[in-house]
Formats: sequence, C-alpha cells, structure tokens
Amino acid sequence: MTANSSSRAAEPSEDQQQAGRREVFQYALRRFGVYLFTLWAAITVAFFIFRLVPGDPMNILLGNLTRAEGRQRDAEAAEAIIAHYRQIFGMDEPLPLQYVNYLRKAVLGGLDLGPSFVEYPAQTKDLVFRRMPWTIGIFTTSVLLAWIVGTGLGALIGWLQRSRLSKLAVVISTLLQITPVYLVALGLIIYVGYTWRILPAGGPYARHLQPEWTWEFISSLLTHAVLPMLSNMIVIGAGFTLGMRALMISVLGEDYLTFARAKGLSPFTILKDYAFRNALIPQVTALAIIVGATLNGTFIIEVLFQLPGLGTLFVQAMGLRDFNTMQAVVLFSIFAVLTLTLVVDLALPLLDPRIRRTA
Amino acid sequence: MRNRSIIIGSIMLALMIIVALAGPSVVDQLLFPGERPGMRGSYRPYQLDSATHPIGTDGDGRDGLMVFVSSIWPSLQIGVIAGATSTGLGVVIGFLAGYARGRLDTLSRILIDMVLVIPTLPLLLMLAAYIDRWDLYKLSLILGLFGWSFVARVIRPQVQSLRERSYVDLAVLSGENSLEIVFLELLPPLLPYIGYVFSLSIVGSMLAEAGLQIIGLGAGGLPTLGFMIAKGFRESVIAIGLLGQMLLPAGALIYVFLALNLINTGLDEVFNPRLKTTIEGGD
Repeated sequence: MTANSSSRAAEPSEDQQQAGRREVFQYALRRFGVYLFTLWAAITVAFFIFRLVPGDPMNILLGNLTRAEGRQRDAEAAEAIIAHYRQIFGMDEPLPLQYVNYLRKAVLGGLDLGPSFVEYPAQTKDLVFRRMPWTIGIFTTSVLLAWIVGTGLGALIGWLQRSRLSKLAVVISTLLQITPVYLVALGLIIYVGYTWRILPAGGPYARHLQPEWTWEFISSLLTHAVLPMLSNMIVIGAGFTLGMRALMISVLGEDYLTFARAKGLSPFTILKDYAFRNALIPQVTALAIIVGATLNGTFIIEVLFQLPGLGTLFVQAMGLRDFNTMQAVVLFSIFAVLTLTLVVDLALPLLDPRIRRTA
Repeated sequence: MRNRSIIIGSIMLALMIIVALAGPSVVDQLLFPGERPGMRGSYRPYQLDSATHPIGTDGDGRDGLMVFVSSIWPSLQIGVIAGATSTGLGVVIGFLAGYARGRLDTLSRILIDMVLVIPTLPLLLMLAAYIDRWDLYKLSLILGLFGWSFVARVIRPQVQSLRERSYVDLAVLSGENSLEIVFLELLPPLLPYIGYVFSLSIVGSMLAEAGLQIIGLGAGGLPTLGFMIAKGFRESVIAIGLLGQMLLPAGALIYVFLALNLINTGLDEVFNPRLKTTIEGGD
C-alpha cells in the first residue's frame, strides 16, 4: 500500500481495497505455486523410495505364480516370463527414463498410473477410485464431526473454566487424546462389537446384502460405519477440545473482553461475538495440521474394521509386492493431504478480516 | 525445577522403567522358580487366569505376565532411540533452516513442509515388507528417519525468533562466530523446548511402532507391547477370556504416554512461563 495507508480515514478507500485484493490474489497464487512444487517433489521422493528398496517385485510375483500353480518351471522359462512382465510394466528401462515416463503418463495420460500387478490388466487408477469413497467418507466425516464437536465443547469448557465439571472434562479429554486411535478402535471392537454386541464391528455392511438403494442396505452401511468413525472422532475430538479450550482461555485474558463486559453486553453475546470468533481462526489452522496424521490413523482403522478402503488396498497390495498399486495409494494420500491443507490455507483469509486486508 | 507435572511424570516413568528392567527376573524368580515362563511350549496354551498364571498363558504356551513384563523394555527402547534420532536430525536441520537467511531459508522451509506432508505410514509399511530380519535398532532408526520433519518444523521458528534478539546482536558485535552463537547463545535457552520435542518424538515413535504391529505387518517377532496387543487381537484372546493379555499392554502404553504427556506439559510451562500464568490466572 502507498501513501493512502497513512490517511486517517476509518473506512478503507477504493485504492486500498483494490491493493488489498491484489495482495490476496498474490498470496493465493504464491500458495498455489508452493502447492504444485511440493506435490511434484513429494511424488518424486515417493517414486524413488519405491524403486530403490531392495527386492525384485517380478521375482516375488513369479514366486507367487509358481506356488499357485504348484509346479516348478525351469530357469530359462522363468527368465523369459520375468523379461516379458518387465516389458509390460515398463521396468526394463533405466530408472530416470522410468521416472520421466511415470510423470508423463500420470499428468498427460489422465492419471494413468500403470496397470496393477495383481489384478492385471485392471488399471491401478480404477482400483484406487473404487476404494477411495470409503476412505474419504470415513475420514472427512469423522474429522469434520470431531472438529465441530471439539470446537464447541472446547469453547464451552474454556468459557466455564472455573467450574468443577470443566476441570473433569479437561482430564478426560487429555486421557482420550493421548490414547492411540487404534487402541480406541480395538476397545470399541472388543466391547461394543463382540462383548455387548450393540453394533457391528467388522466389514462394510451385512454379508447377505448387495450394494443397492434400499433402506435395508443403507441402514446396514450406516450402522457399520458408526464404530470406525467413532474411534477416529473420540481421539481427534479430544485434541480439538483441548486446543480450543487453550485458545479460549488466552482470548478471555484480552483487554477487549474486559471492555465488552464493562459495556454491559450479555455473557452470551461476549461468548459468541468476542471470544469464540477470535479463538476460531487458529482452530481452523489446527484442522489443516492434523490432516496427515489422521489419514494414517484412518488407514489402520480400515484394516481393523475390515473396510474396503485405501488402507486395506495398500496392505493387500503390499503382501503381493504390487508396486503400482502401492504407489498409487501413496500418491493419492499425498495429493489428498496437500490439497486439503491448501484449501484450509486459502479459506483462512475469508474467515479473518485481518489476513484479508493485509495478507 | 519445581514443576509438579514434571515431577509426577518422571516418577511415573521411573516406575515403569523399574518394572521393565526388574520385572522379567522378578516374575521369573518369584512365581516360577526353576521353570522357563518365557519359553514357547512351557505350558498348555490359552490357560485362563489362575493363581499360578495371573493373566493366563498365551497362544505359544508362555506365561502371559512374563510376556508382558518382558515386552515393556523393548517398547521403551524403540521409543527412546527413534525419538533421539528424529530429535537430533530435526534439531540440526531446524537450526540450519532457522539460522540461514534469504534463499536458503525459503528452500529449507519448503523442504521441511514437503517432508512433513508425505504420509509416513504407507512408506513405513513398505519398508517393513522389504526388510526380512528386523532388529530393534533397524526399526528405531527407520522410525526416527521419518520423524525429523516435525521437529525441524517447530524448532525453526524458535531459532528465527531468538536470532533477532538484541543479545545475539551483541554477541555478533563482540566477534563470536556462527558456531559460538549457535552453541553458546541460541542452543541453551532452547534446551527445555528441545526436551519437550524429544518427549513428543518418543510418544510419536512408540505410537507408530505399535500401529505397525497392529496393522499386522510390522516387525514380526520383536517382542514389544504393540506386538502383544496385535497378537492378542489376532488370536481373539478376549473371546477366550484372557482380558489381562490385552488390557495390560494397552494400559502400559497409555500409562507411558500419560507420563510423557505430563513431563511435556511441565517442560512447555518452563519454556513458556506465560502459559502457566494465563491458565492459572483464570482459576
């Protein structure tokens, strides 16, 4: 901003607004550039980690085939088969060329990540897309619900910090927050699922049903989703509760709150418009930070609850050393985490007028 | 340091370390003199809780309590080695990034952010599948190598803010070189914070280790608490009625996390005294 910023006008002038808008645009552009670069770099790192680990996937694949058929091949035939497969999967080329080809196909070829070794000739892309709704569904729903519940609860606890009840809530949240998500999941499976038999604790829906738009199927789907989501929600929600409480308490110490009280505003107005709103912004940033860790947890939860999501796909692919599929899952996770972080970062200026004007 | 959280947390942790170190021989000598409670096939498998076997026997015919107490030490070891690795790496990289200026600073920030967002679990699982014979040190080092980005991410801004203080300017003017400034001026005030981060890293590493075991692809054969939980889940020991074989290792993990969390809170308060006054000032 130029000379205008020194003017004493209370309302920002036309020029100022324009300059502000331009800066927000530049911020968004820069942020997007960093996003693209990070995405490329992360994909590159993942590609080379996958290629450089020891163990030839082709030998393992052939070993599996041989075991499945139950007879031995002579060495020459085995060599020929391996060479043939290498060619199909593009693994006979030097590593740098493989890398260039991989990037070219992924970007220009419409997300062509190569065929799956295991379900050849099915495309890895299709496998990932088929499993993705499960992971995304469990992940986003539980994280958002946990954020809403945790933020509300945390604000309340922070507001009522002197009461005994809120101290108890802090102790409980701390205990829940440090409990690993898989232990919560195991506890829910064992007690709610098997001992008390309140809710189903495994599988995506009842075995005898087929996916269709009937009430029976949808209700079965929903009841099966309760426990996996609950495990995620309990742990993440407790973290959000504690975070929001700390934010509220630090906001409550500010002078403008004393001023609001002195003005005679009702406690509810102070809570809603003065304390909560100001504590909310860092709380949104916190949402972006936990995305990656939560995705890890969701993968474990899928495996424990036998849901056909990306985590389960990864574990299956790994047992068979299915490079392409494993790589596709990792790529997708990186993409998801980076994109969600980007969305939150870009949404922040909308929430915070200070960032909007000066970012 | 008269901080209540640190004292309570340290006592809790010390008790656990004593159990981990002395437990196996105490159980061996007191409950099973002349027997081999930790050997496969010593007893009939899946025996229910009794006076001789307080939490029963496991699927391999070992005494459950013996398996439990001998699982604690390896878990703690993995946590400490992996935590130290990631904290060490992260502090070095965080200092480099925080002390550098200009383009190097931007580059290091992008690098740290990049590594931070790469989902570690799939990569860890990958490595787990490729390494045939795991030992404790290999696993700990790999866990540590994946954990440094978080440490570097939080150390860097601390170094940056310290670097701008006037006492550092004074040190520069009085002719100290960069190494002296880092080790004499910047590192000492950050020590409690580094301790705090170290403790967080230990929790992270133990969490990741047990997670790997539970997902079923971790370091097969390493006798840790996570392995005992995973084995119990696969053999559905709860359905058999051997509650203790599941709850004890799970409880021990949560107990260690709680102790470290208390130490953390305390160290955070030492490093950041305002935190304490704002929270207690409201009481």
